[in-house]
Amino acid sequence: MVKSLVFGQIREDNIEENTLGVLNKLTEISEISEIVVALLGHEIKDEWIEKLGKHGASKVITVKAPELEVYLSRPYVKAVLEIIKITEPKLVIAAGTVYGEDLIPRLAVHHGVSCAQRINDISSVGVELHFHTPVRDDQAMKVTKIEGTIKFATSRAGAFFVNENPTGGSPNVESLDVTFSEDDFLVKHIEIKKAERTVNLKDAKVIVAGGRGVGGKEQFQIIRELAEILGGEIGATRACTDVHWIEETYEIGQTGQSVSPDLYIAAGISGAPQHVSGIKAKTLIAINTDEGAAIFNFADYGIVGDLHVILPILKQKLQG
Amino acid sequence: MKIIVFIEQIVSTQVKLQGVDYFDPSRVSEDDLIINPSSKNALEGALKLKDQLGAEVTVVCVRGLKPNKALREAIAMGCTDAIEIADETIYTDDPLLLAKVYVETLEKIGEFDLVFLEAEEQATGSYAIGAMLSEKLGLPSVLYAEELEVIDSGYKVGHVLEGGRKIVAMPSKGIISCSDSQYFTPRYTSMRGILTAKRAVIPTWTAADLGLSSSVVGKEATSLIEVSLSNIVLEKESYIIKEGEPEEKVENLLAKLKEDEVKLGA
Ligand SMILES: Cc1cc2nc3c(=O)[nH]c(=O)nc-3n(C[C@H](O)[C@H](O)[C@H](O)COP(=O)(O)OP(=O)(O)OC[C@H]3O[C@@H](n4cnc5c(N)ncnc54)[C@H](O)[C@@H]3O)c2cc1C
Repeated sequence: MVKSLVFGQIREDNIEENTLGVLNKLTEISEISEIVVALLGHEIKDEWIEKLGKHGASKVITVKAPELEVYLSRPYVKAVLEIIKITEPKLVIAAGTVYGEDLIPRLAVHHGVSCAQRINDISSVGVELHFHTPVRDDQAMKVTKIEGTIKFATSRAGAFFVNENPTGGSPNVESLDVTFSEDDFLVKHIEIKKAERTVNLKDAKVIVAGGRGVGGKEQFQIIRELAEILGGEIGATRACTDVHWIEETYEIGQTGQSVSPDLYIAAGISGAPQHVSGIKAKTLIAINTDEGAAIFNFADYGIVGDLHVILPILKQKLQG
Repeated sequence: MKIIVFIEQIVSTQVKLQGVDYFDPSRVSEDDLIINPSSKNALEGALKLKDQLGAEVTVVCVRGLKPNKALREAIAMGCTDAIEIADETIYTDDPLLLAKVYVETLEKIGEFDLVFLEAEEQATGSYAIGAMLSEKLGLPSVLYAEELEVIDSGYKVGHVLEGGRKIVAMPSKGIISCSDSQYFTPRYTSMRGILTAKRAVIPTWTAADLGLSSSVVGKEATSLIEVSLSNIVLEKESYIIKEGEPEEKVENLLAKLKEDEVKLGA
């Protein structure tokens, strides 16, 4: 049987969604005997611990320290290594957020093993755990196993669904003290620039999204016009919000908003995993000049062509 | 100041190799090989500092698949020199083994200040390499950087974060992995660079030159065992329109959507 340790992540004063997905996945695997969560921070709220229990954690180990207010690699690695020492898990897993992807490989190095990343499934074959990672723009599936007594993995953002009605109980809570030194803070936190979320795209039924292929701020007009005609919202990739072609609020994906519209039109978007992981659309239509663009693997319909030629025609036909 | 950039040469995603065929080296020709776009972001990071602070930039590529092309392009972009690590015994699908090769490469190079590398490694399909290298060297690191500023104590770096961007300060010796951002948008090769690249003598180091054997960095040493690699069979076919005039393509799409009873509009 496999004892597992999950890196408990906090986002916006709550347990981060993908972490709940990981817990849910682990509860489905019969080989997993126990789910322990490592929860680190300055303040740790009881409601977070309760939530983790509801979603399947039998134990939560907390490390509270002002130094852990914001994630930084060294202090977090130090604290989680301590937790690993006392819990002796066979599997250490984190949701594949920026922090999760930063932490897990570091922990693995300290145990002399490699790690499986961006997995979208775990299967147990006898006593072995197999990790499933989609590769080559989701055209192929690589299944790996990790040799050694302890295995490390990160999940792909959005890979595991979150149980809306979890039935777990209250977890045992243990707290641990970790002392930090100046050396742990060679990288210093300055600030987090939160993207302003002025528009909520979560409930949008139709989204017309533009990527770098749109080509500029003014050129985004066609995306706006089409969205208006369809009674929908606009969306964008991080490549566009990074250069301020469009407001940050419209970023969709792992680090932007998660959306689940009936229709998603992706124009000039290559289909990076970090972008598509935020989209659960009933129908996805892609327009891209590159026939080999990954977005076509995720699309239900597509046109290989220049968006600045295709979209105006589409607009005209829909109006007419 | 000395900067080392580790780059990855990958099979262009533009090649028409689908699914598992993409990973079959016998199907790949030299023309299909390009620098990982994420590695180009790392090159740009180093070259910006070269412009600003006069750094020396050494580019290193560990690959069995004829890496010289990538290295010459990196020199043509502005790197000072290049080192090729070419040894078929090195198992590059495991980020931990690759990190070991990088550590020994840095050891052989000697003094350095900064290491730049890609945020996303394609061969290993992972983000792990920067974190692993940092841990193995015991050096501070910032991953998924999107912007960088030189400050007195080192660098102020902004990196990707869910819901925004995080700004940190790091010392002048460390590791930075770079994302696809405006700041790290790669420059083109220059005419002068292309000429320099043509003349450049690129040394080739093997695992043995780095004091490494296949029991340390070969397939037999990996803890990440590939159980299978198979094509994903999609439940539904996608309808991609490639042929025709733009107007015909749009009409074709609208007709198909109508046939499938897909409603356009909220
Ligand atoms: C940790 C991390 C998290 C990230 N989170 C996110 C996220 O949440 N959301 C996000 O979007 N990105 C995210 N990214 C960035 C992501 O990896 C990609 O860099 C980004 O999504 C690429 O955006 P793009 O598709 O617009 O640009 P590109 O990849 O440059 O693609 C542009 C596309 O446009 C096509 N094109 C060009 N001209 C035309 C034309 N005239 N007509 C039609 N098509 C054209 C090209 O063929 C190409 O496919 C993240 C990255 C990291 C490292």
